[in-house]
Amino acid sequence: MKKTMFALISAAALAAFTLTACGSSEPAATSAAETETEAASEESSEAESTADASESDMDYVKGKGTLVVGITDFEPMDYKDANGNWIGFDADMATAFAESIGVKPEFVEIDWDNKILELDGKTVDCLWNGMTLTDEVKSAMSTSNAYCNNAQVVIVKSDVADKYQDEESLKDLTFAVEAGSAGEAQAEALGLEYTPVKAQSDALMEVAAGTSDAAIIDSLMAAAMVGEGTGYADLTYTIGLNSEEYGVGFRKGSDLTDTLNEFFKTSYDDGSMLECAESYGVQAAIVEQ
Amino acid sequence: MALILEQMPIVISSLNVGFLQTLKLFFVTLIGAAPLGLVIAFGSMSSFKPLSWLCKLIVWIIRGTPLMIQLLIIYYFPGLVFGTPVWGTGESGRFFAASVSFIFNYSCYFSEIYRGGIQSVPIGQEEAGLVLGMTKRQIFFKIKLLQMIKRIVPPMSNEIITLVKDTSLARIIALQEIIWAGQAFMKGSQGISGAIWPMFFTAIYYLIFSGILTVLLSKLENKLNYFR
Amino acid sequence: MSILELRHLRKSFGKTEVLKDINLTMEKGQVLTLIGSSGSGKTTLLRCLNFLETPDSGEIIVNGENLLTGNASEKELRRKRLHFGLVFQSFNLFPQYTALQNVMLAKQLMAKEKPDYASNKKAINEAIEYQAHELLKKMGLADRENNYPHQLSGGQCQRVAIARALALEPDILCFDEPTSALDPELTGEVLKVIKGLAETDTTMIIVTHEMSFAHDVSDIVVFMDNGYIVEQGAPSEVMDNPKEERTRKFLSHY
Repeated sequence: MKKTMFALISAAALAAFTLTACGSSEPAATSAAETETEAASEESSEAESTADASESDMDYVKGKGTLVVGITDFEPMDYKDANGNWIGFDADMATAFAESIGVKPEFVEIDWDNKILELDGKTVDCLWNGMTLTDEVKSAMSTSNAYCNNAQVVIVKSDVADKYQDEESLKDLTFAVEAGSAGEAQAEALGLEYTPVKAQSDALMEVAAGTSDAAIIDSLMAAAMVGEGTGYADLTYTIGLNSEEYGVGFRKGSDLTDTLNEFFKTSYDDGSMLECAESYGVQAAIVEQ
Repeated sequence: MALILEQMPIVISSLNVGFLQTLKLFFVTLIGAAPLGLVIAFGSMSSFKPLSWLCKLIVWIIRGTPLMIQLLIIYYFPGLVFGTPVWGTGESGRFFAASVSFIFNYSCYFSEIYRGGIQSVPIGQEEAGLVLGMTKRQIFFKIKLLQMIKRIVPPMSNEIITLVKDTSLARIIALQEIIWAGQAFMKGSQGISGAIWPMFFTAIYYLIFSGILTVLLSKLENKLNYFR
Repeated sequence: MSILELRHLRKSFGKTEVLKDINLTMEKGQVLTLIGSSGSGKTTLLRCLNFLETPDSGEIIVNGENLLTGNASEKELRRKRLHFGLVFQSFNLFPQYTALQNVMLAKQLMAKEKPDYASNKKAINEAIEYQAHELLKKMGLADRENNYPHQLSGGQCQRVAIARALALEPDILCFDEPTSALDPELTGEVLKVIKGLAETDTTMIIVTHEMSFAHDVSDIVVFMDNGYIVEQGAPSEVMDNPKEERTRKFLSHY
């Protein structure tokens, strides 16, 4: 049964594969030419490449001319302006990076639960969305140097915030946390009672709706989304639980990781990274490159 | 209330974009699955046993597994196993993969309805056609087809209304249909967050669309009521 | 030359032999009735004549031509079938067409296949419609031509079915228990129509359980039992003075 199903799907996939293979013969040829000229500079990264021995990730991305960036709607890192264009600290940096390697950025909203599938399945080329560098993330993909600091903070209703200013007081509360997030890891470490939900924003909803007492989310997100003048005006954040860092994820063995690290360094040194961060109010969190 | 009125244009235009995707997926599925279902129906009724078994096996697998799993496998499998994302990147790739999954899934459901419809036409109809010197083709198109359509309209109506709502499953591969669009305002998007009311609007879109379909399909049913 | 001659016709379904060495001859204009109990093979014989079943061996000779020659193409099969018409027990009218359309449909489809159709479309269709009107009038259904089958009584349906079969002008018109599905009060109107056809020298083979009707209308009566023709001849012989014990026993039930 399993075999048959596998065979059927393989057959369908193969048929489709053949079609695309025919369609993409031209870009493959041009990228082959590029490989030769850049072979020397990429030798080191090619050696450690496990994903695709015949073609480096850089060549693959250049070949198709777009860097597909996997994101979610996550203010202030990636979000849409009034015209529907993606902006935010991450979006702007990703655009600048894509331009620096001579390709166009393409932002694609994904289901964050499937981020590793999306990356490995090549439906996106990188994950650039305020991604906390957890052990799980680091082992599943090739990650850039940290570029932004982040802490996990506790969200409660403003009117009861005074009562929950230390870790001990949290024991009485029920929490909502994003499944698989750094927040969940914290809740587990502290032995808190919690419900895993699909997204950090869902965790906020839970608190606002009163279905959970509190949530643990990223401080950057909390700064943008709760408090006066936001959709969650009656929520606030209290204590920070631990400090973490954001990074960008590429496919395992990708040579784009090194390129991005260099790009980060250049843009940190010339001040453009900080300038960009200032326009989204996250300058305090930037990590020195 | 004032805030809602202020946010309304943003939400509506977002929902419209999402609903367009829902509609596209709905019609593409219908247009693709209606004829493919007939092919599978004839395949599973074929007197050539291996073909009939193969068709029945496919129908069993597709109907016996959740559409959500099929979406995940069809979209991610080629890239993960062969290293080639066959669907292309971006929104259009997701839409393409979703369309293929939905057409496959729904053609299997349709094929069973067709099969029931074809087999419910009494054998006497075919025999009457034969003794009147008609070809098999003429018998199918001139005699059986309309009788079959009459019999399948009620079960097909059910499937079609279900399809309207099933399109939302495509969210699992991040196809941004109307629920995705509505949910964005729960999560926080374009300065609106924690808002549940766009979900009510989303529901209204579904209600109106399935309402229109219900009316059209019952009109068709009435139209075919001139014979029994 | 006889219009129909059957020689050594045999047919089995699996291991059950349903027709065992059937031989009979009939002339143009004659009426032949097949009598016998259920399962004696009468209906199978009719279905063989109309190529709804294929006999295992033997000959079906119509106007001197043996129709049972190996594997025929669909086109050949259609031509051979048209020597015969068949009226079913359960009418089998096409429910989505009116009485008139039921009568015209087959002929219209056939006309469309002919090369001269496009140029004479109007005249051909008019002729087909005229013939259908006439047939329905003959069946006493002139005022019912635009009714759908579900709006007609069983007797009316069966008369439409007879008109439909006649429209193709078959050499031999077959009836498979034409009144068995009808209420007794509706049986008469159908039998009257068939009798009328007999009077105008329509060649017919009728499977029936209506013994007095069979006696009345037949030139030849054939008694079948267990796949054999037990006895055949004029009604005055077979029905009034049966030679065989089995025939006597069967007739005693009526």
